[in-house]
Amino acid sequence: MKRILALILVLAMTLAAASAFAETLKLGSMSPLTGPYAADGNDIANGVRTAIEVTKADGGIPGFDDITLSAQDTACDPRQAVAAANKLINDEVVAVIGAYCSSATLPASETLDEEDIMMLTPASTNEKVTERGLKNMFRTCGRDDDQSKAAVRFMKDFVKAKSIYLVDDKTAYSQGLADNVEKASPAAGIKVLGHDHVNQGDKDFSAVLTKVKAANPDVFYVSLQNSATGALLVIQAKRMGIDAVYLAQDAVYHPQLIEIAKDAANGMYLTFGYVDTEASSYQKFIKAYEPKYGKPGAYSAYAYDSAMAYLAAVKKAGSTDLDKVRAALLSLEIDGASKKFKYLENGDSGSNYIIRQIQNGEYINFWNAQTGEKY
Amino acid sequence: MDYFLQQLINGITLGGVYALIALGYTMVYGIIQLINFAHGEFFAAGGYMGVIIISYLAAQGVSPVLCIGLGLGLTMAYCALLAMAVEKVAYKPLRSSSRLSVLLSALGMSIFLQNGLMLTQGVYDKAYPTEMTAGGFEFGNVVLSYMQIYIVLITAGLLVALNLLVFKTRIGKAMRATAQDKIMSALVGINSNKIISLTFAIGAGLAAAAGIMVGFYYGSVNYSMGFVPGIKAFAAAVLGGIGNITGAMIGGLVIGMVEIFAAGYLSSEYKDVFAFIILIAVLYFRPTGIMGENVDDTRV
Repeated sequence: MKRILALILVLAMTLAAASAFAETLKLGSMSPLTGPYAADGNDIANGVRTAIEVTKADGGIPGFDDITLSAQDTACDPRQAVAAANKLINDEVVAVIGAYCSSATLPASETLDEEDIMMLTPASTNEKVTERGLKNMFRTCGRDDDQSKAAVRFMKDFVKAKSIYLVDDKTAYSQGLADNVEKASPAAGIKVLGHDHVNQGDKDFSAVLTKVKAANPDVFYVSLQNSATGALLVIQAKRMGIDAVYLAQDAVYHPQLIEIAKDAANGMYLTFGYVDTEASSYQKFIKAYEPKYGKPGAYSAYAYDSAMAYLAAVKKAGSTDLDKVRAALLSLEIDGASKKFKYLENGDSGSNYIIRQIQNGEYINFWNAQTGEKY
Repeated sequence: MDYFLQQLINGITLGGVYALIALGYTMVYGIIQLINFAHGEFFAAGGYMGVIIISYLAAQGVSPVLCIGLGLGLTMAYCALLAMAVEKVAYKPLRSSSRLSVLLSALGMSIFLQNGLMLTQGVYDKAYPTEMTAGGFEFGNVVLSYMQIYIVLITAGLLVALNLLVFKTRIGKAMRATAQDKIMSALVGINSNKIISLTFAIGAGLAAAAGIMVGFYYGSVNYSMGFVPGIKAFAAAVLGGIGNITGAMIGGLVIGMVEIFAAGYLSSEYKDVFAFIILIAVLYFRPTGIMGENVDDTRV
């Protein structure tokens, strides 16, 4: 009996020793997995999961026998984001993809930076994210200031709008964007007829929409942080008979906007990053993503690209040493699913906002904000 | 003028929804003096069950009218059963303990039900087949959608039915008796446990109807939709004089109208604040609420 026990012990020890030699690459993700932004949050976690699956299927990364993900919930709340960051530090992750809300990304990135953990955000568009001079902060999506410029240019050059009415839901993101558009409008010859705020979680917009209808603007600018809310607002606006060009932004962008609003969403315009659905990098992403997680959301591809970029940098650097990975990341030209990009010294990756339109229940590339031409 | 009329229509519709939810609050409070904070969750559960049943029936090729009718009936029955189960599990064992523990149990139940919905139905919104009820009338600039008419008609119909039940039937008599004095009514042969169960069932059924109508009116439902309307309906019940059925209707309409007019004429940002300012102002001058004076004879 004793001999058997000893044998088992020896066996267990050899096994333990063997697994101690093989290294696991631990990634973390932070996004709102619950609460009103859970749709976008789960898209982000799923994007990272897809990146890991694709990398593993391609043979993984030399020197590591496995890549794992610890997906944390921030609920879009600064305090919970810091708690999630600490949890990831305890989990000994080497990099974090996230967070979603800029207000959560900002404090969490400070916490991660102190521990020398790299953060790549797929969705935080606030200018401050990369303007604080954090060495380990990268951003794969575009910036608010660029997005509002694209929106104003579209209204001026394509719609030839004379008036605009704005509605936002008071988040740092949605209101910031609407404020930017409001400020830039007069210079483009567009009169601001009104700028209203609704509450997050509102379902009834009839009062505000009656106001919009009475003002009769050329463009109705919808800046909400939630695509489902955006759908409700559009349904009610169409029912109310508001006859304007509907323009929204990337947080309203989501497959569920079309699913819920159906016909009401047809003809609506959104500012969004340019996506080349024909590109092989996008096809590779969509083939891995769609069967498992359904249609990608607004930030699925950005999350996927962020994780792919990091993993590619680790591969190139041959280690997870922060400085080496950073140098590798800055040198890489990444042919991503969301866009072709190269991280700049400040962590940004450049914006490529265009105008997309919903036609017959699909998002299509509509107007190029750089050249001013239709696709 | 158009603007005012449109806002009036908006206000009545929203008020009707609040009123329906408020009825459940007020009835349960009337009968066991419990503020059932899980009530908003019956509204959300109704919204979900409604879309599941109606989408299923529609996929089988059932006609829209039958879809909605069956969906409404089945969903109300489902929520009634759910409420009776909740009452049995979370409130009945605590009936003789302090009111505070029942209140906490209700809050816990609310969180439990909400998370249950999230885990079983997912975090994404579920879309209603709004095309079934699309369309409406237009008078100049004023739009009156069919759904707004349905909401008002169904709400009014349910209120009339409820009033008949409470004031014209033996069950209603038993409910009123139990509300007045549980022990005495039990002594004369009323099964108060059954009556309390029934009250929960009716209240939840009405909330479920509101959930379906909201789903059709706004276009989608999600798991957290019960919380805010729940609080507003609670305010409406208090405003009307909690325990009073007509009061809950009036309170619901007032809260809905104040909210819409505040958003339309003052500031949409602070519309929720105005509704509660009215509540506080009314309670300051009439602590029993608008219809609070005859609270003892008519409460259920």
